[in-house]
Order: sequence, then C-alpha cells, then structure tokens
Amino acid sequence: MKKIIIIEDTETIREELKIFLSKYGYEIDAPDQFENIIEYINRANADLILLDINLPVFDGYHICREVRKDSDIPIIIVTSRDSEVDELMSMNFGADDFITKPYNTQILLARIAAVLKRASKDQYRDVLMYHDLELNLSNGSINYKGKTEQLTKNELKILSCLIKNKGSIVSRDVLMEYLWNSNVFIDDNTLSVNVTRLRRKLEEIGIKDVIETRRGLGYMMP
Amino acid sequence: MKLKDYLKERFSCLLINFIGFFSLVCILLLLDIKGNVIFSILILWFFPLMSYILIEYMKAKKHYNHMEGLLESLDEKYLLSEIMQKPTCLEEKLFYEILRICNKSMHEHVNEYKNLQLEYREYIETWVHEIKTPIASSMLIIENNKSEGMDNIGQEIKKIDGFVEQALYYARSSHVSQDYLIKKFDLVKVINHTIRRNAKDFIHKKIDLQLDEINEEVYSDIKWVQFILHQIISNAIKYMKEQDGKIKIYAKKNKNNVILIIEDNGIGISEKDLHKVFEKGYTGEHGRKYTASTGMGLYLCKKLCQKLGLAISITSQLGVGTKVNITFPLSKFHLES
Repeated sequence: MKKIIIIEDTETIREELKIFLSKYGYEIDAPDQFENIIEYINRANADLILLDINLPVFDGYHICREVRKDSDIPIIIVTSRDSEVDELMSMNFGADDFITKPYNTQILLARIAAVLKRASKDQYRDVLMYHDLELNLSNGSINYKGKTEQLTKNELKILSCLIKNKGSIVSRDVLMEYLWNSNVFIDDNTLSVNVTRLRRKLEEIGIKDVIETRRGLGYMMP
Repeated sequence: MKLKDYLKERFSCLLINFIGFFSLVCILLLLDIKGNVIFSILILWFFPLMSYILIEYMKAKKHYNHMEGLLESLDEKYLLSEIMQKPTCLEEKLFYEILRICNKSMHEHVNEYKNLQLEYREYIETWVHEIKTPIASSMLIIENNKSEGMDNIGQEIKKIDGFVEQALYYARSSHVSQDYLIKKFDLVKVINHTIRRNAKDFIHKKIDLQLDEINEEVYSDIKWVQFILHQIISNAIKYMKEQDGKIKIYAKKNKNNVILIIEDNGIGISEKDLHKVFEKGYTGEHGRKYTASTGMGLYLCKKLCQKLGLAISITSQLGVGTKVNITFPLSKFHLES
C-alpha cells in the first residue's frame, strides 16, 4: 500500500482528502502540527507528498526545497495560486507536479498515480487483476489463462474503470465522465459499441458474461 | 500666435501712446511748429516702441513654437514641465513655477488612485485564493458523500468557481502584469483541459462533440488561453438548443498563424447584437432570456486576447449557430527556435 503524506493546514480539506484517498487504497498520514514538519516528513518514510503552499511556520516552497536536499520522494504541490509563474516556481523548487484548487478529484487521483508510477518504475507493474483476468495497462492487452487479446484505448479505459469499481454498478454517465476525464471524448452510442466489442474480445479468450448490463442503471462486473 | 492677436494684447499701451502723441501734436500745432518737425517726433516716438514690440513678439513666438513642438513630441503631455527649458524672464518663471506645482499635485492625486487600485487588485487576488479553499473543501465533501442532492450542490459550486475565476482574470486583465508567461504548448492540451472541465455538461446534455485531430503548437500563456477557451465553450453550452446540440472544434494552420475554430449549432446571435458581444456588461436578448449572464465572459476574452496578442472574432447567425475564431500568430522566429 502506497503511503501519502498530506501537508495541508485547512482541517476540512485535510480530513476530506484523507477519507477520499483512503477509499482509493492509499495509506494516509496527515499531520496537523507544522513546527517540525521537515523532520516529520523525513521520519514518515512515505511514497508521496501532497504539499500545500500557504502553510503556517514554513511555506510549501521552503519545505519542498528542504525535503529535496536529501530525498527524491515525489512531491505534488497543491495550491490555490494558479498562474503559470506559480507553476514554474514550484517546479523550480523540485516539485514533480502541480495541481490547483479546487481540484477535480479524478484528475487528482490520476496525477497521484502517474507520479507514483514514474517514481517506482521498476517495482510497480502496470497490471490490474480481476480474478484470473490480467489487464496490462502499459501495452493495452488482456490475458486470461494464457490467451491474449489486444484492446483499443477506449476499451482499455472502459475495462479498467469497471475493474476498479468491481462489485458496484457503474452508471453510463459516471463511466463516460471517467472516460472524458482521461481524454477519451466518446458519445453515448460509441460507448455502447465499445462495450459490445469489449465483451466480444473477452469472450474470445474465454470469459463470458463478465460485464453485466443493469437496464437503466449501467454496467457492473460482479 | 498671430501678430494681430499680439498687438491686440498691447492695445492699451499703444492707445496711451497714441493719445499722448495726439495731445503733443495738438500742443505743437498751437505753438505753430512745422509739419516735418512733428513727423520727425512721430518717427522718434514710435520707431523704438514698434521695434520693441516686434522684437518681443518674435521672441515670444519662437518660445511658444518651441513649447508646442515639445508638447507635440511628448506621448505623456503632462511631462512638459520636466523637459521644457528653464525660463529667464520673470513672468514666465512665475508661470513655470505654477505649472510645476499643478503637475506635482496632479501626480500625487494620480498616485493615490493608482495605489488604491493596486490595493484593490491585490485584495481581489488574495480573496480569490482564499475563497478557493472553502470551494475545494466543499467539493471534497461532496465527493466523499455522494448522492443526488450533493451532486446538484456540486454543480452550483462549480458555477461559483467559474465566477470566482472570472473575477480573478478581471483583476489581472486591467494591469500589464507579471502574471503571464509565454511559452510553447500543444493546442490540443488546452482543448482537452477545457473539454474535461465541461465533461458533465457535454454528457448530460448529450452534446455531440466533433473534435478534429489537432497537432498544432502555439506560443502563449497556457492558463490565460485555458480561461478564454473555457468562457467560449461554456457559452456554447449555455446557449445550446434543447436537442441535437453539436460543438465542433478544429484548427487551421496558415503560414503565419494558427486559427482555432469553435463552432456550435446553438441559438446564435442576431446581427444587431453581434458587434456588441465583446462589450463589457453586454448581455443582449439571450442574456435576458437565459439566466446567469453577466456579460463579462466575452468582454474578458477580448481583453485578454489583446494582452496576449491573439485575435478573436465571432460570426453568427440567429437560429443556426455561432463560430468563434482565435488566431495565434506564429512568427518565423518562433518556428526556427
């Protein structure tokens, strides 16, 4: 489980982020004291830092610079300042990414995943598992008991969204929003066509009826 | 400065001299003095007087012509007192002093307003950044407690966020400020960002998005362009017909520029409104019919485009649709570097 430190002085945001990111399987550490924050970070041994800029005691830039002195831990700056100049400043202080408030949570998740992936190329495998089905995100293929099939970008995104939400119904709108948030701008009909194709490909490697249609509600992988 | 006017100014002096001379002539005539003597006295009296007036006139004319020339060459006319020659004669010295004092007082006055405006702008910027924290926390709370009601609140909060953003860019737009940074970026990055931001509307209103493959690179400030594009696309969505909405985005590359075109088949703008859409606070018929029009969106687009050196134009037909063109210049210099 990846560990994220949230350094944020607004209590509501801190707590809600904690709930939100925990739901997506991250271990969260969110200090509410900022006096010895740099020692705290060095001790915490986390995989990623979400860092606000306006903080009591030291500002985010200072923390970023100090942490960079002896650590390569990925840092994502979260701030309400949004100009290009602010972004440039953050990057110059050694941050890996920059997100402005208020953030789209799906995009926040995507950025966190991307930064973590970049940081741990070697041990991190880009594979989603669903029972015996292997979904390889890096080369866009599915693998089931030795049989392999190639997926298109759209199919890949659809399947990964359904696997991530396995056990619960994903409505068509939510599914489409997920796709749009990852730059796949498809319409309602194309979604149906893609799901049909995806089912056929899954059948071809021997998995039947794994994507259920709930009429009027959406799709689900049990 | 005309000689006639100058002489008019000295009318009283000349008149007194004439009266004096006329009285003298009367006395001389009574004393039976000869005409040629009187003529000589006339010459002796008036020659120095007229020469003096003429010389003074020429000096004054030269001086004022010089000043006018200076004034003409100045962009900021109020700087005249800083660069004009120090006067030598008493009258002009006094006048010069007065001009300087007036200027100084005006500068103080202008500075006072400058500071007020700067303070106000700084306040707006801080305020915007402060209000973003509660907006961000609200969005997270909504995300963590999903329900239909929460979702609706989320939509409203998104609108608040949009208005807050407008306020920020309004504050930025009125200053040639340090807030922007021109660099190269892919046009498609900005487009994707804006589409993602409006994804919910596209999906729920079932708007058909036709997105051409756009591979152009342009030079500008990406954040400002994102703002401009968001205003245009959210307008297109706002003024969409109930059914079969369509938005088409494509780019055209010319030798010296890239034109980004956003086309919709919405309700359109009537011809008489079209030339006013970029005016501040102008909402037109649609604005009155559809809620939430402040008339600021397009005004800001135009203003920011001007600051960034982009061209923006709108063509539209009532009931058929609207087409917005944004032109990004590409200079040879940029292409080579």
